[in-house]
Amino acid sequence: MKNSWRLLLGCVAVLLTMLHGSAVQERRVVRISAERFSFTPSRIELAVGEQVDLVVTSDDTAHGMRIEGTDVDLTIPKRGPGEIRATVSFDKAGRYEFACSRMCGAGHNYMRGEIIVRESADPR
Amino acid sequence: MRRSCVVAGVLQALLLFGLPAPGGAQGSALSGYMEIHYNNVGPQDPVLDFHRFVLVMSHGFTPRIRFVGELEVAHAIVEGLEEKGEVELEQAYLDFLLSRSFNLRAGMMLIPVGIINERHEPPVFNGVERPFVDTVIIPTTWFEAGVGAHGEIGSGLRYRVLATAPLDAAEFSAAEGIREGQQHGSEANVRNFAASGRVEYLGIAHLTVGASFWTGDSSFSLRGVDSVVKVGEADARYHRGPLELRGQFAHVSITDADRLNAALQRQIGISPNVASAMRGFYGEAAYRIWNAGAPRDLVAFARYENFDTQYRMPDGYVPLKLYDRDAWIVGTTYYPEPDIAVKVDYVRLANQSGITKTSHGLNVGLGWWF
Repeated sequence: MKNSWRLLLGCVAVLLTMLHGSAVQERRVVRISAERFSFTPSRIELAVGEQVDLVVTSDDTAHGMRIEGTDVDLTIPKRGPGEIRATVSFDKAGRYEFACSRMCGAGHNYMRGEIIVRESADPR
Repeated sequence: MRRSCVVAGVLQALLLFGLPAPGGAQGSALSGYMEIHYNNVGPQDPVLDFHRFVLVMSHGFTPRIRFVGELEVAHAIVEGLEEKGEVELEQAYLDFLLSRSFNLRAGMMLIPVGIINERHEPPVFNGVERPFVDTVIIPTTWFEAGVGAHGEIGSGLRYRVLATAPLDAAEFSAAEGIREGQQHGSEANVRNFAASGRVEYLGIAHLTVGASFWTGDSSFSLRGVDSVVKVGEADARYHRGPLELRGQFAHVSITDADRLNAALQRQIGISPNVASAMRGFYGEAAYRIWNAGAPRDLVAFARYENFDTQYRMPDGYVPLKLYDRDAWIVGTTYYPEPDIAVKVDYVRLANQSGITKTSHGLNVGLGWWF
């Protein structure tokens, strides 16, 4: 009897681990590099409701990344091992612009990008 | 007149119909950059020069209406009528950020020609001094008053177009080309407007390629002269891991240069020998020897430049080989912090004349951005 309970608990643990694993796999990671005066990539596409981890690094000075229509306003650390992460998802399709929110030089206002959110579950 | 009305109409329409909803990024900020140099090149005595003290002011009226201003004190001190330092209002514009693909700008603006004119903060480029091509052929820092548009289309195709005051050909010279022709938005003559623009493609990983132009009728102050100046430029930058490569080519043409020289000779007594074409190019390779981030962040670089402010002369004028120059610059940039650059370089500057000596020497610089 004791062994049966152990076996059942083990199966539940394995099942939970598998479910958790598949949830983690579903979250896409988008790495963005910032430098004077561009984000690379500057265009990101995702699906409505899709959770995406943004991982942003700088190749020179400190930058900002503010995503319009959201509360996201990241401070990107200066060049080095540091990075900033944020998980974003959008519940409406559309185009969301993002821009550098920290003055970084003469081309600061050129430093912009966009997130295209599509109804499709399979963003290109 | 008609163009002015169109621009005013567009701005009024923006104010009437309102800009897209704001969402942060308001308020004011002060930033800037500075650089102090030790120059020991050529036959002159070495100099210690606080070359640039620049304050950058920015303010967001809304996230989509922003002011940027850049006020520079060059060479530390400004004294009346002396050829010493300068105070320059290099930028003072309003950006109306309508969308990623189309935005309007008005005020004092940087002309979008070349790599350095819009990317001139000391930690951004190698070498104590800016490249010769970006000084003698492209008159960095090149700024004028006017209006323009800019934006980015798709994944990395950028553009900017400006209508500004033109250059004044009466100030051109053999040695410095078109550099002194800038009107700097100071009661600038706008009988004619100049057009300039740049396209840039950043869609290929690690690579930025760009091309730019400037064109304008620049002989407004000289009767009987019809000098149209055209500047064409192409550049590329490649940056992957510790390696950075960059190159630039620039060409300037001036029509009616013979009558321009004759008119100036009547005014000042001697012909300034302004060329009908000037040309320059450079290539630079840089490698990050220490690539672990500050304080282990060290770049070594070498740059070759070739520039000639008398590349083509009008009929009847002989080009002076003195102005056909080339230079090697090798050095290092050390970053104790990503916004601080300690620079050392060796410069060898030669010309084709065979009479004047090749000059060479050492530059040391300390520059920072905050």
